[in-house]
Amino acid sequence: MWRWRLPGPLRPGGGQGGLGRITIPEKPKLKFMDKVPAVPKVRREPRQLRDIRGPSEVATDFTEGQYGILALGGGYLHWGHFEMIRLTIGRSIDPKNMFAVWRVPPPSKAVTRKSLGHRMGGGKGPIDRYVTAVKSGRLVVEVGGRCEFGEVEPFLARVAQKLPFPAVPVSRESLQEMRREEEEKRLNNQNPWTFERVVTSNMLGMRKYLSPYDLRLKGRYWGKFFLKHRV
Amino acid sequence: METGAPEVTPPPCSGQPCAVAAKMAALGGGGTRWRRAWLPALQLLRRGSKAVTRHWKAMHLQRQKLMAVTEYLPPRPAVPPRCLPRPSAHGVQEDGQARVLRRQVQDTLSASRMVAVCHYNPMADEDVATFRHYLRKHGIHVKFVLNEIARPVVAQSKFRNLLPLFVSRNILLVSAEPRAREMLRVLRGVPQVILLGAVIDGTILSRRGVENFAQLPSLEVSQGQTVAALSLLPSQTSSLLQQGPARLTALLDEHIRRLRDAGAATEPPTGNH
Repeated sequence: MWRWRLPGPLRPGGGQGGLGRITIPEKPKLKFMDKVPAVPKVRREPRQLRDIRGPSEVATDFTEGQYGILALGGGYLHWGHFEMIRLTIGRSIDPKNMFAVWRVPPPSKAVTRKSLGHRMGGGKGPIDRYVTAVKSGRLVVEVGGRCEFGEVEPFLARVAQKLPFPAVPVSRESLQEMRREEEEKRLNNQNPWTFERVVTSNMLGMRKYLSPYDLRLKGRYWGKFFLKHRV
Repeated sequence: METGAPEVTPPPCSGQPCAVAAKMAALGGGGTRWRRAWLPALQLLRRGSKAVTRHWKAMHLQRQKLMAVTEYLPPRPAVPPRCLPRPSAHGVQEDGQARVLRRQVQDTLSASRMVAVCHYNPMADEDVATFRHYLRKHGIHVKFVLNEIARPVVAQSKFRNLLPLFVSRNILLVSAEPRAREMLRVLRGVPQVILLGAVIDGTILSRRGVENFAQLPSLEVSQGQTVAALSLLPSQTSSLLQQGPARLTALLDEHIRRLRDAGAATEPPTGNH
């Protein structure tokens, strides 16, 4: 196929963040995740939607790979999502030169569902499926090896689109760039009134209308949504 | 009249208001009637959804106002950037690959007698391969060119009048022999490639010109024709000049023949000795 555009200038050393040799692990494809944990739960657990709310503290940075999918919102991943990710990435990577790694644990939270068409009451429904909670800012999968972001981005974008929360494919550099931009925005904000300032000093009694969680979330999160354009 | 027990629980009621009622009772404490205190954090649980919902939960008006007031304001430079002069085209780095491609185009243009510029519409790869094969059989090479490389090269070579043709997707059909007829025949069978113009032996020809050129006879034949045309008058002159003596010669020959016939008619009786 003849390419009608000149490719851009070559960038030297697009390797694993500057490391020389890239080792592909023995099992380069994604591990199969069980639908139900080995010891299924007997006791049905409360919903605890706070595991979706707010920013993620775990798995926010790259470990082994160079590119990954970053979650920009909270949500639950169930077995169907895991299979989709595993198969799509397994189909799209070249096992000799690339590898992929999970950054989320297998589903362990039991989610119940009442059968359809029944009235309220009668107790809690039986366990329907198991899910994994994902908060914003968490990496879902990581991909690495002898490849460029341009090769990896298309299929990661396709996977990211199918996830139940907004997600984007990122590389180490693009994540750094994203964080740097956020920081820059925070510093060069010309607005003297910030959400954080209003909430911490309870100006105008705003805390009457806000949640105590807003002290921590600082107006960037609303429910499971991450408001990227704020501050 | 109640005793001093603050934990008087009201009769069981359904659902959320239980919490409210319990709290009210706790608040009341040690006194006559429990006061009607109103805690928004609990009262709002009576109706409405949880904090984390699948849909976008509607914000309280005060919260909306707060979000509007605390939006991000980007820094505004004193002089807007559109009032400043345009920055010079950055990235004038000499790309090695571009240099190589330019050299290739230059060599191709200088080494070929016929260069035809065609517009290329996308076709299937196998069709492209077939097209190239047919042209290659007549010794015509198909070269795909990038306009951003071809334009500077063409502008500085002797083909600069072809510059307006190098717009959009182009291919060059180059060959050392000017095989216009075969090229046109192949191009007629491929509707996706459209001939725009050609340079044959240093002459710029349009599409019509190429067609006319193709209908011309070959060089030897046309040379012969030119020679014949040029030598027409002298040959006529020479034939005119030779007409008189030729006629005389013919008459004399006729006369001799007649005399011979007549002599042969009279002599035979004497020839029998």
